[in-house]
Amino acid sequence: MMDDLLEDFVAETREMLEAIEGELVAWEAQPTDRARLDHIFRFVHTVKGNCGFFDFPRLEALSHAAESALAEVRSDRRHPDSRLVSAILAIIDRITLIVGAIEAGKEMPEGDDEFLIAALEADAIDVGETVAMQAAQRVSQSTENAPAAPRSIRLPVELLDRVMSGVSDMVLARNDLARRLRDAGSDPTIDGPFDRLSGILADVREAITKMRMQRIEHLFNAIPRLVRDVSSQLDKQVMVDFSGGEVELDREMIEVIRDPVTHLIRNAIDHGIEKPSVRLAAGKREIGMLAISARQSGNRIMIVISDDGAGLDTAAIGKKAVSSSLISQAELDAMSHDAITSLIFEPGFSTADQVSEISGRGVGMDVVRANIEKIGGSIKVSSNPGEGTMFYLQIPLTLSIISALTVSVAGQRFAIPQSYVEEIAHGAAGWVDFAQAGDTDLVTFRGSRIPCLTLNNILGVNPRAAGSDQRLVLLKLGKDDLFAISVDKIHDQEDLVIKPLAPAVMQSGIYAGTTLLDDGSPVLMLDIPSIGAQHGLVSDARQRPAQSAPSEPEITDKPSRTLMLFTAFDGRERAIGMELVARIDQVPGEAFSFTGADGQVVIDDTILPVARIAGDMNDMSGEQIRVLRLSDSDCELALPVSELGETVAITDNLTPANSDTDIEGTALIGGKPVPVIDGYQLFARYGQSGVAPADRLVCRLPQDDPWASRMLAPLVAAAGYRIAQSHDNHADVTIAMADDLDLLSTALSGEIITIHNDPDRTGTNDNSIYRYDRSGLVSALRGVSAGLGKVRNAGGGS
Amino acid sequence: MTGLLVMVDIAGRRAAIPAAEVNSVIELEKVYPIPRAPDYVTGLSAMRSQSLTVVDCRKALGLQGESDAAERAPVVDIDGHLYALLVDAVDDVAEAQSEITAVAGGFGKNWQRVAHGMVETADGPALVIDVRCLIEGPPAVAA
Repeated sequence: MMDDLLEDFVAETREMLEAIEGELVAWEAQPTDRARLDHIFRFVHTVKGNCGFFDFPRLEALSHAAESALAEVRSDRRHPDSRLVSAILAIIDRITLIVGAIEAGKEMPEGDDEFLIAALEADAIDVGETVAMQAAQRVSQSTENAPAAPRSIRLPVELLDRVMSGVSDMVLARNDLARRLRDAGSDPTIDGPFDRLSGILADVREAITKMRMQRIEHLFNAIPRLVRDVSSQLDKQVMVDFSGGEVELDREMIEVIRDPVTHLIRNAIDHGIEKPSVRLAAGKREIGMLAISARQSGNRIMIVISDDGAGLDTAAIGKKAVSSSLISQAELDAMSHDAITSLIFEPGFSTADQVSEISGRGVGMDVVRANIEKIGGSIKVSSNPGEGTMFYLQIPLTLSIISALTVSVAGQRFAIPQSYVEEIAHGAAGWVDFAQAGDTDLVTFRGSRIPCLTLNNILGVNPRAAGSDQRLVLLKLGKDDLFAISVDKIHDQEDLVIKPLAPAVMQSGIYAGTTLLDDGSPVLMLDIPSIGAQHGLVSDARQRPAQSAPSEPEITDKPSRTLMLFTAFDGRERAIGMELVARIDQVPGEAFSFTGADGQVVIDDTILPVARIAGDMNDMSGEQIRVLRLSDSDCELALPVSELGETVAITDNLTPANSDTDIEGTALIGGKPVPVIDGYQLFARYGQSGVAPADRLVCRLPQDDPWASRMLAPLVAAAGYRIAQSHDNHADVTIAMADDLDLLSTALSGEIITIHNDPDRTGTNDNSIYRYDRSGLVSALRGVSAGLGKVRNAGGGS
Repeated sequence: MTGLLVMVDIAGRRAAIPAAEVNSVIELEKVYPIPRAPDYVTGLSAMRSQSLTVVDCRKALGLQGESDAAERAPVVDIDGHLYALLVDAVDDVAEAQSEITAVAGGFGKNWQRVAHGMVETADGPALVIDVRCLIEGPPAVAA
């Protein structure tokens, strides 16, 4: 891992050295040439930046010194005389030597860096001698320091492209040949070698693909160390959070964005995140959060780097921009907030008045933007004062593999990026329900109504309403943006090579790219975020970075509980609370195994305990068995069913069951009594890590209060409590309505949580909570159980 | 101007595309429509594992009707995207016998936008097409 990075570092530095070699000579001839100066400045800046990853104090000191001197020249505080040029060249020579030694794994070359650095000083007296000495050293060492044989080679990407396109052609030719062979009839003497050819081709194709692709993790891996070092230098506390490390992109692309991302992270820690004392004073956690996420969206990758620091100071930015004559005061006055924040990307802009070792002098931002734009990407910044800053980097995947679901309408295929797909379902499934509100199609899925678009209407091909003859693809855009697209057919999930589309086609705003399937037919990839946005299904994409806790969905006072009906293997209908059903799977009968009363099933490479309700399940081989996957957020159970029913909302309370403890009660559905399985009993019996009900803390709820039994009970149960029945004398915790004094006085034991209808009457410290403060209630319950848990454990030990 | 021209028929007129700009002339196989794409974009097709955007030249000019299905279509590469041009017919490759010249009064509203100018060939004059302008399609109709 570290070796990889080191290799990258050496290779990159060498490449840059080669690139600026000419510039150095030109600069020497004409020290006032600003473009050359900038180029050399960027080189030493980058070397300094990269040293942050590694422990190379000498390189860092050298490059920092050169950078400081060049920065003075850039800001016209110093004239680039020949003495300075010589001193800079001497430092670059020394950097070359050290890098050479690192590459060869040898001892660092001897030499006094202090002397070189001192020579940079404006009042250094005699540099001529230094340089002469250096030059002599260079000649003598360059002969003995012949670079070691390379362990890897660098190839031009065009060559890889050519090989890749050649292999794709080979696949098409093979497919064509396969069709002809099929038509000609089977011939074993040809089939064998042909299969072998196909196998080899598949391998080669995979290898070629891998050659170019790299998980963005490769980039992420180096970040924690960087963050640690930078933040400890600055006495700040920073936590990094990554997501999307599995996103793959072009190796070359990763290299191109490595520097910009490094710059942005340094800047975020240096200028964004405040010192712990400042953060505490501002009411924030003392540890700053730095979140880095990557997401593939069509043929682009979006990287978001956000911090929850102080945000950008637009007043300071504006003032600085005017004083450095980037813009006039009049222009500034006319600018929007966003336009002002974007000034930080202007060349020659910097807000840091103090020179710091971490992010330098703001040189990064214009370089960052230049580098991103060079590869056809874009960078945007948004910032809220006091809440944080977010940088959005969009970069293209000129050639990228994306996992996609192929679907079709009206006989034509389209691809949907798998990353958006939550679930797929048959429109005719019992638990899917279509409805319309105005002209909008809705579909009821897992008990909630979500908007449903028909791909026909999106594309304008045979417009129609969503119906049960279609298939549904459930898509998730943001955290809460869920919608469905109905299609005629769902085909396959495959890895596709996405190519950009012609501008005229991109204009339509519903396609993100195109790809060729194995049979050579082109397929369009749908641009899901854009489609969602066009239909108003995307909430504001800008998440507020300061919001540390995920927002709880609002509790709506819907007067029902949703049950899922199913038929057990004894042929009788039963129901189970929908809140327990995590998903529905179909598994072959062979996946089940039973030993005595215990059963197990393998689903997606995990072994789940099987809950057995009734009826004989032994004769299942050769069949596809529907399985309800139940979860209590602690462990999972598989409940095989003979037949799936629909989901129903019930408004009446269950009639309690008298004797059967497996049954929570009986529900009246369509005039028929249906036993409702007690999910917690199931988990107690079959769950591997579930807590047996007897050990669970008991919570008493307000009696005869429909809101309490419908809304509170599931919440309390989910927090790990057993709901007190009327015959329970003891309750560990009692939840009471504030105006229900009777219950308050009859509470015999345990903690009391009071529910208020008026938010203003809730205290901050005691357990009185506003009716709709779901998170407050959950944390109060957790607090109680944590406290009692300790007591109980201590008591058990004595 | 000297150089080779690929001679095509568009909407019954003789037009020419500089041969240097033509990647190849192919027989179009199946064209897959692109729902909601501009009208002049007929669809996508494939050539040697590369996608082609198929453009109907008659519609791209803003003329009524659509191109007769010619057997062959010239393929051009604009900014890394491959376009197959649907024309009424692909004739032959001819040599330009004159410079590209303007004609007083222009070539007509629709043609003017996509024309480099006129050139003489052995078979008479032809309009030299600026393919980059052609594939941008007809200007949006102002409301």
